Amino acid sequence: MSSFFDKFENIDRRWIYLLSWIFVLFPLIFPLGLPVPINKESQAWFKAINDIPNGSVIVFSPMFGTSGMPELFPMTLATMHQLWSKNVKIIVVSFWAEGPLVFQQLLNQMNPTAAPYNKVYGVDWIDLGYIPGSEPAMRAFGEDMKKAVAKDYKENKNLSEFPIMQNINKASDVSLVISIETGTPGLTEWLRQWQEPFRTPIIVGCIGVSAPGMAPFLQSGQLGALLPGLTSSAEYELLLNRKGLAIAGVDAVSMSHILVVILVVLGNVGYFVNRGKKK
Amino acid sequence: MELMALLGVYSAVFFTLAIYTILYRENPWYRFAESVFLGLAVGYQVALDMKYVRDQWAGQWSSSSIMMVGYVLAILISLLWYFRFTKQYFYLYRWPLAIIVGTGIGAALRTVIFAQFTTQIIAQAKLNLWVPTDLMKTFNNIMLFIMVPCVVLYFWFTGSYRDSGPMKIIDKVARYTMMAGFGAGFGYTILTRYSMFIGRAQYLLGITPNPPEAVPAFIIFALIMLATMIGYDLMQRNKKPST
Repeated sequence: MSSFFDKFENIDRRWIYLLSWIFVLFPLIFPLGLPVPINKESQAWFKAINDIPNGSVIVFSPMFGTSGMPELFPMTLATMHQLWSKNVKIIVVSFWAEGPLVFQQLLNQMNPTAAPYNKVYGVDWIDLGYIPGSEPAMRAFGEDMKKAVAKDYKENKNLSEFPIMQNINKASDVSLVISIETGTPGLTEWLRQWQEPFRTPIIVGCIGVSAPGMAPFLQSGQLGALLPGLTSSAEYELLLNRKGLAIAGVDAVSMSHILVVILVVLGNVGYFVNRGKKK
Repeated sequence: MELMALLGVYSAVFFTLAIYTILYRENPWYRFAESVFLGLAVGYQVALDMKYVRDQWAGQWSSSSIMMVGYVLAILISLLWYFRFTKQYFYLYRWPLAIIVGTGIGAALRTVIFAQFTTQIIAQAKLNLWVPTDLMKTFNNIMLFIMVPCVVLYFWFTGSYRDSGPMKIIDKVARYTMMAGFGAGFGYTILTRYSMFIGRAQYLLGITPNPPEAVPAFIIFALIMLATMIGYDLMQRNKKPST
């Protein structure tokens, strides 16, 4: 009997990986349709974007690379859908090298110039690409956008040639920063270089692992809204009534968490039974 | 689907599976994929940085002779990074490093005290301990009111102070608070890691909007990789008794 419980504490990691594959692939192939309750985080995110006044200028920043795409790309798509459905001016800029690559993937999947959005590049939105230099670059961009970025990313023209950039040059001209991010530079840099000196409001979408570290900034009101992880993305997709990859993956998230809970319980059962026997 | 696009799908599937072969054990598939990924990432970053430098020249730094001198000076200083690879002139590498570290710390220090310190203290002091319309919020705020100072005091007082009467209770509350925090962190970490896996699994299964051509590629490459790795293991096992 003892050896049976010993095994709980020493399961070969390859069996765990195999179980992970099964628990993830099964609900993707055969969707279970588990309920997705909508929590306050996704509601706050939806409201924050919904409440942006018409004609406002916002900065949208994809601050993640391809490794963050599985978790963050669905919320990026959904957020841009909501933004492009509104009458707001959008400046897309990234301080992560792979940010423009991610945004190009987004453009491959949704065309802002076509219906239902009908947005004009350079008038309603502009893509400034990637600015190297991390935190000092964020500060420089906030102080003088046209100095920090000489040419746009999409058409390689001077910024002064675009109507959208005529009356915008610094962070205080921006009504909201939306940062979708996986790490550094990220929220703390936005707070230090934009929110604190220019009082620019910020909302952040992040990978789940970053969420506990960001919660204090939500509590203090420095962060307007926080959308953490794939499950929140799924809730947001439901609020938008636009089902995407997050909804498709939420069953797999639930199943994978059930697996982890089972493994944690088994490990603890093995631990306590063996400890009792040793005593 | 066009041939190039199909090649892209097959490459994506191949590299996804090659990276995941590490779950079985270290192997040449994984090594190859890891090296290609690192090479691509570095190459991409360098190319984008070069584009930025070029755009800055064309956009503004070529407009006057003084700015041109400044631009050339900046380029020359940036070239000092490469002296990291020489023993004789290694000290020159410290100059651009000092500039980068100095500007980074300088930019951060200007506002860090407000953004990450005083605002947090003010928020803690302003906690509303009774929210009649939201009992859950009342509970959360009371917990925050107790837990945050306990954790701060835990790190403040060390050594024999911990053995004093009130500190024993504070010590315990602080440890439970941190454990709850680590638990939340662990839960969210699991969510992130599995989300990454789920995203790739959706690609491998060709779930819309991912290309359906990924499915046959998934089956083909998975079989090849599994066969080579398990086959190699079996060969090694059969060799052992004879030696």
